[in-house]
Amino acid sequence: MNSVASQFTFKNTKQDFQDAQQSLSGFQQLNLAPSLALPPISQPTDFLRAHTDDSVNPDCKIKIAHGTTTLAFRFKEGIVVAVDSRATAGNWIASQTVKKVIEINPFLLGTMAGGAADCQYWETWLGTQCRLHELREKERISVAAASKILSNLVYLYKGMGLSMGTMVCGYTKKEGPTIYYVDSDGTRLKGDLFCVGSGQTFAYGVLDASYHWDLSVDEALELGKRSILAATHRDAYSGGSINLFHVTEQGWVFHGNYDVGPLFWETKAQEGSFNNVEG
Amino acid sequence: MDIILGIRVQDCTIIATSKAFTRGISILNSTDDKTRQLGEHSLMAFTGESGDTVQFAEYIQANMQLHAMRESYELSPKATASFVRNQLASSLRSRKPYQVNVLIAGFDTKTEKPSLNWLDYLGTNVELPYCAHGYAAFYTSSLLDRHYRADMTQQEGLDLLQLCVKELQLRMPMDFKGVLVKVVSNEGVKIVDF
Amino acid sequence: MSRRYDSRTTIFSPEGRLYQVEYALEAISHAGTAIGILAEDGVVLAAEKKVTSKLLEQDTSAEKMYLLNDNMVCAVAGMNADAGILINHARYTAQQYLKTYNEDIPCEQLIRRVCDVKQGYTQHGGLRPFGVSFIYAGYDDRYEFQLFTSNPSGNYSGWKATSIGANTSSAQTLLKNDYKSDMKISEASKLALKILSKTMDASLLNSEKVEFATLTKSKTTGKVIHKIWKPAEIDQLIKDSGVLEEAEKEAEKEQ
Repeated sequence: MNSVASQFTFKNTKQDFQDAQQSLSGFQQLNLAPSLALPPISQPTDFLRAHTDDSVNPDCKIKIAHGTTTLAFRFKEGIVVAVDSRATAGNWIASQTVKKVIEINPFLLGTMAGGAADCQYWETWLGTQCRLHELREKERISVAAASKILSNLVYLYKGMGLSMGTMVCGYTKKEGPTIYYVDSDGTRLKGDLFCVGSGQTFAYGVLDASYHWDLSVDEALELGKRSILAATHRDAYSGGSINLFHVTEQGWVFHGNYDVGPLFWETKAQEGSFNNVEG
Repeated sequence: MDIILGIRVQDCTIIATSKAFTRGISILNSTDDKTRQLGEHSLMAFTGESGDTVQFAEYIQANMQLHAMRESYELSPKATASFVRNQLASSLRSRKPYQVNVLIAGFDTKTEKPSLNWLDYLGTNVELPYCAHGYAAFYTSSLLDRHYRADMTQQEGLDLLQLCVKELQLRMPMDFKGVLVKVVSNEGVKIVDF
Repeated sequence: MSRRYDSRTTIFSPEGRLYQVEYALEAISHAGTAIGILAEDGVVLAAEKKVTSKLLEQDTSAEKMYLLNDNMVCAVAGMNADAGILINHARYTAQQYLKTYNEDIPCEQLIRRVCDVKQGYTQHGGLRPFGVSFIYAGYDDRYEFQLFTSNPSGNYSGWKATSIGANTSSAQTLLKNDYKSDMKISEASKLALKILSKTMDASLLNSEKVEFATLTKSKTTGKVIHKIWKPAEIDQLIKDSGVLEEAEKEAEKEQ
């Protein structure tokens, strides 16, 4: 098939043309006129799907970083956001130190699940949109509006290969602590508690059991951390370390990075849990 | 596995939608509202591809509001359903069709009659006394065929709906977190405790 | 003075006038009169057809009455060729509405769509306005029977009885005197003919000079009946109405 197709691709015709020119004139023609390089494929969307979507084709050559566990929940004192830090491409652990919480601005956090590049790019883009809103309206953007900008944007690209599962978390006077779940098929949901990523079920398990509205800040941070730890233990695609954030009316506060290696043993010893593991 | 169900009775139309919002194997939300109000006397319930559903419903909602502002009156439920059908039919032939199935409940203030329209993403539009989309239809159709009467009151309609929901809770393999029930009548659209 | 402004449709004169629009209105004031009367149970349209030559074929009956859709009829005053474009647009718009909503388009909405086109030609450069006024007879569920006019500026208005074309002012004076709100369609028809006979140059009223259309509702089916009358029917109507005898009597009196 490629032998047929290659005759018609841009790259080859151009090469043939140059070869022919060279053989006629005997010397290399200087390429002075600018030309626009195009990918030698007719449908970029189909191409991307065929070569990057491992849910459709497990043998695909480009594996985009996917596996993750992220969570965010609302409670009396604000929002806790906790994430792991592992990036995987297929079975290969690409990094153990990924920042999966994107600091959109001092009052807004976005979490990252799915395509790392997609999340990083579009959430920083969202940051500029929020700043522009602030300059125009002389008022900080609401979480509802910010998340809607993102969801409308990803909806525009629906079916073209974007892969994102994100929580937009923020605190405004009008709304209080607010979480919106936005994903790349265009879903946008408001809620008290979300876990997103391949380890979501494991995180839900621990979080749902101990979650209640009147948690103290320390309890909430501990619960968030513990839920991600649970997911990193069971989900092969989650791991590395845990990043913890607390969102308050004064903006978000970073509450540290915890390597799950030592944390696991500490937790096990402290709680007397993880009894499936010896040692 | 969303449930959307509609029953038209003597002087109103009842719409029930499941409250669970499911993504993959997790329920992300158990207070979901799968309806949008299109006008004072019309309501659209929707199900289908996530993302498409809300975008489509809000697009229709915006168009109905625009129409109401331009013409200073609201379209009849029949006209509304035809309009939505046309949007779905032209979308189907576009590069990226909306994959959305809807029910439109209305109350025609001119003729003083409630109505219920069933529309699918292919552009089928039928007026029916009772209907549902998805798996819910498999469980409830026979039940409604057996017990539905055209001259039912609102309360009798709600009782019949209760029967349907009981059956769904008994036989559906997943918990759908109950249903949100809305009634479209002469007085407009109201949420009913259920 | 005005030469600097009147060739431009899109430019106001220093007095704040749009000359081309006014010229279009002037052209219409020389066209055959058209009258519309709203009755209790229907609408009547009557129009004067100007016979320009004896050699002109007369049997191509209605040329000033047009059906727009199942429940609207309109009468034209002005340039028939221009009217053709607008009528085609109106018919297309009505069908498109019927296709999307499965209901007939409300009268005012259709008229507004036609007027949007007319207005466009008073504002966008290099084009001449449409030299047409219309009288519309319509029916819709919301307001039932209705009567409207529209002119080249793109303005439209609703009426109980009105006229367009030549001798409009005298026709409207007569309408003001003789219009009664409880008129039935038969009385309205007679009144329309009577007024037309008075405003026309020619003394003798006949089907060669008059066009006639009515919009009524069937008592049995409740459906709207639109009727553009045939020459023979018009002659019969003229005869039955007794308009000719009345005119003769009045002529005698004056003598």
